[in-house]
Order: sequence, then C-alpha cells, then structure tokens
Amino acid sequence: MIRILHLSKAFNGQVVLEDISLEIQKGEILVILGESGTGKSVLLKHMIGLLKPDQGEIYMDSQNITRLSEKDLLKMRKNMGYLFQEGALFDFMNVFENIAFPLREHTRLDRGMIRRKVLDILKVIGLEGVEKKYPSELSGGMKKRVALARAIILDSKILFCDEPTSGLDPIRSRDISDLIRDVSRRLHCTTVVTSHDIQNSFRIADRLALLQKGRIVALGAPQELRNSTDLFIKEFIG
Amino acid sequence: MKILVNFGAGCILESGNALCFLADILGHIFKGRIRLAEVLKQVYEQGIQSVAIVALTSLASGAVLALQGYAAMGRFGAKEYVAHLVALSLVRELGPVFTALIFSGKAGARITAELGTMNVNDQVLATRTMGVDPVEYLVVPRMVACFLALPILTIISEIVGIAGGYCVGVWEAKIPGIFYLNQTIRAVQYVDFFSGFTKVFFFAVIIGWVSCYQGFFTKGGSLGVGRFTTKAVAYSYIFIILSNAVLTKVILTFWG
Ligand SMILES: Nc1ncnc2c1ncn2[C@@H]1O[C@H](COP(=O)(O)OP(=O)(O)OP(=O)(O)O)[C@@H](O)[C@H]1O
Ligand SMILES: [Mg+2]
Repeated sequence: MIRILHLSKAFNGQVVLEDISLEIQKGEILVILGESGTGKSVLLKHMIGLLKPDQGEIYMDSQNITRLSEKDLLKMRKNMGYLFQEGALFDFMNVFENIAFPLREHTRLDRGMIRRKVLDILKVIGLEGVEKKYPSELSGGMKKRVALARAIILDSKILFCDEPTSGLDPIRSRDISDLIRDVSRRLHCTTVVTSHDIQNSFRIADRLALLQKGRIVALGAPQELRNSTDLFIKEFIG
Repeated sequence: MKILVNFGAGCILESGNALCFLADILGHIFKGRIRLAEVLKQVYEQGIQSVAIVALTSLASGAVLALQGYAAMGRFGAKEYVAHLVALSLVRELGPVFTALIFSGKAGARITAELGTMNVNDQVLATRTMGVDPVEYLVVPRMVACFLALPILTIISEIVGIAGGYCVGVWEAKIPGIFYLNQTIRAVQYVDFFSGFTKVFFFAVIIGWVSCYQGFFTKGGSLGVGRFTTKAVAYSYIFIILSNAVLTKVILTFWG
C-alpha cells in the first residue's frame, strides 16, 4: 500500500504539487489523469524517491520513504518497476541488454534463462527480432515498449508507468494498456499509471485521480467519474 | 563586492560537493565494488583510442627536442648530449604532462560528454530506479580506467618520444645509433623515471575526478553537455598545470 500525506512541492518558487493526499491499495491500478504540465510526472517521481517533497510524507506499507537514505532507497527500488515518460533506455546497450539489465543486476538466473525471459517479453510487447538494435535505431513508440519491458521484467510488486501509451497508435495503446493490467492482476502488483489517454485509462483503472493545477480534484472508480457533474471533469473525460 | 562573496561561496560549495563525490567514489573502490568487465571496456575506450594521438604527438615532440638540442648544443660542439636532453626532458617532465593534457582532451572530454548525456536523458535516474547505484555502475569504472590507462599511455609516449629523438639524432645529427641508445640508457636513471612517473598518478586522479564530476552533475540539455564538457577540459588543464608546478617542487626537494 502507498500512502501520500499532504505532499507539496515547488520548483524555484513555482508550486507544482499542493497538499496532495492519496492512498493506493495493494494490488490496485490507479491512473492519474491531468493536463500536460500539472505535475503527474513529478508526483510519480516522488513515489519512487527520485524527488524529495518540500512538505508531506510518503509511506510504502509502513515505511516513510521521504526519510530514507539513497542507499536504502536503492534497496527498496529493487522491488519496483518504473517506466520513464521518455523511456530513458541506456543508449550504450542494445535492446536485449537493456531489458536484461535488471535481471543481471538483481537475480542469479543463468544466461540461457535470461535470454528466454527477454525473448519472451519481446514477443509479448510485439517487438520480436529487434533485440540487437540500439535505442537510437528505434521509433519513439518502440522505445516506450522496450522501456516498459525493462520495467516489468523483474515481476516487481510495485509498478509505476509514466504515460505508457503516449506516442503509440490506438491499437498498440490498447494492447499495452491491457498488458499493464494483465501484469498487475497476475502479480497482484500495486500499479500507478499517469496518462492522457482517457479511453484506455478507463478500461484498465480500478480508480482514477484527476490532477489539476497541482491538486487532486477528483478521485474515484471509473463509473463515479463518468457520473460526475463537475464541469472540468466532464470536459476532461469528454 | 557582493558578487565576489557569492563567487567565493559558490567555489567553496562546489569544492565541497566535488570532495564528497570523490569520497563516494573512493568508498566504492575501497569496498571492492569495482566492476571489472566495465573497467576493461573503459580502458579500451579511453586508452586504446588515445594511443595513436599520444604516439604521434610524442614522436613529433621528441623529434623537435632533438632538432633544437642539436642546433643549440652543436654550437658548443656537444651534440652527443642530444640523447641526454631528449630522454631527460621527456621522462622527467614532458612525457607525463603532455600525455595528461592530451588524455584529458580526449578521454576526459569523452567521459564528461557520456555521463552528461546520460544525465540529461534520465539514464542516470533510470539506473537509480532500478536499484543500481549510478556512481558504482557508471562512475567508478571510468575513474579506475583513467588510473590504469594514463600510466600505460605515458610509458608509450616516452618510448615513442625517445624514438623520435633517435631518428633525428641518427639522420640529422649523424650520431651513431648504438651510441645514441647507450647515451639514453645511461642518462635515464631510476630517479628520473620515477620522479616523472609519480606525477602521472596524480594527473590520472585529477582527470578522472574532474571529468566524472562535471559529467555526473551536468544539467541543461545538449547545451549543458557542451558547456560542462568544455568546463571539464578547462579545469583539468588548469589543475594539471598547477599541480605539476607544485609536484615538481616537492619531488625535486625530496629526490633531487
Ligand atoms: N526538475 C524540475 N525543475 C523545475 N521545474 C520542474 C522540474 N520538473 C518539473 N518541473 C515543472 O513542474 C511542472 C509539472 O511537470 P510534470 O513533468 O510533472 O508535468 P506532467 O503532468 O507530467 O506533464 P506531461 O503530461 O506533459 O508529462 C511543469 O510546469 C514543469 O515545468
Ligand atoms: Mg509527465
């Protein structure tokens, strides 16, 4: 379970997040929606400890991660997957090595086993045969999918995805969203996704949070949000 | 006045950060957290790819030293001392310093640009999200590789430099080859070699430290990568030249 309490963050005087409180249940899929530039990525980076809040606390189960040292955070992150908005693949490694990286670092699997797992996941994300290519030789959407594969290869208990479907065509978007949902259900893993993609968000989410100007203005199951009468919510979800 | 104070405070803060960074790196090294495969890769990239340029420069410098020495000493009829001049200048001073300067322009700049690009593309953050310490994974191997590659390059540069002097000595000054070699070997003593070679390790630390630090804390996109890379090379040059003056004094005091 992830619990965010009264979190605030400003960059050089520009307030980005303001008094955010949010609870994410174990095994739940929460999608954070919001306009571009409202602080979705910033919120997600706080949850994995890449950013420290100005105020407020974040608890993973019972541990306050805002107080952890980088060393303890590194240990904690071995059980988490994080997909960066821009992918952030290692550009000095090819696709295979990128996806195998977490396996090589944190498991004792032998070469053959790693190879099997990586090739399997490439099949799942629809990218068979690209394992020898370097990130600079891939399209934006392909990079995104490779990065997603890297984030889920360890079968972590917690998964953060920053806009997994942006830059993908509608069919791929649906497949990738389904993949995230399937992974999350199969491993019973707590999943936080940020997105602009209303349709797919509503398909996979247990709950949705709508962020506006650094605050959460709506939070609830898909059906609740659909029935909302609030003007901004209505406009945003169409 | 205020600008000056701010500048001073900035410098102190920066030095503090840089020292913490070095302590972090050394901590990993002393705990034995060194990834050998990565180190070898870096030694190859930094070292092997600098061999050609180092060899070329020192061949030319050795030749120039011999030409000038011949011109100057010829006047006193002491041209057989050309070998001494070339060997001693190279081994005591020019070899280590030239190689360090070239190395920082080549390998150092490369380190900063690589780390800087990874930084602005979130790759360093990505390492952290995967529970891997970027200092251990990305910085330590580069630092250790500097420490291994620079001494080897220096030795290559000294040998090639002496060869350059030899060519001039034999073809221009008409000194017999065997005689030239004999003179060289007699000229360079243990002390001479090590008084120069000790510096190399200091230079290696300076280059690795400055380049990794600038790269690891690069911000500001592609412009930032350019700016921090130039900064790394400029700082390396300044620190090499300055520390060389100090080191020379210290070494001469103790070793003569
Ligand atoms: N490191 C930073 N330094 C300064 N400002 C930042 C930093 N990171 C984010 N911001 C600011 O925080 C705000 C929110 O950024 P964020 O990346 O979280 O937006 P987002 O909701 O993810 O948008 P998008 O949907 O386009 O990805 C932006 O106005 C941005 O300028
Ligand atoms: Mg974002």
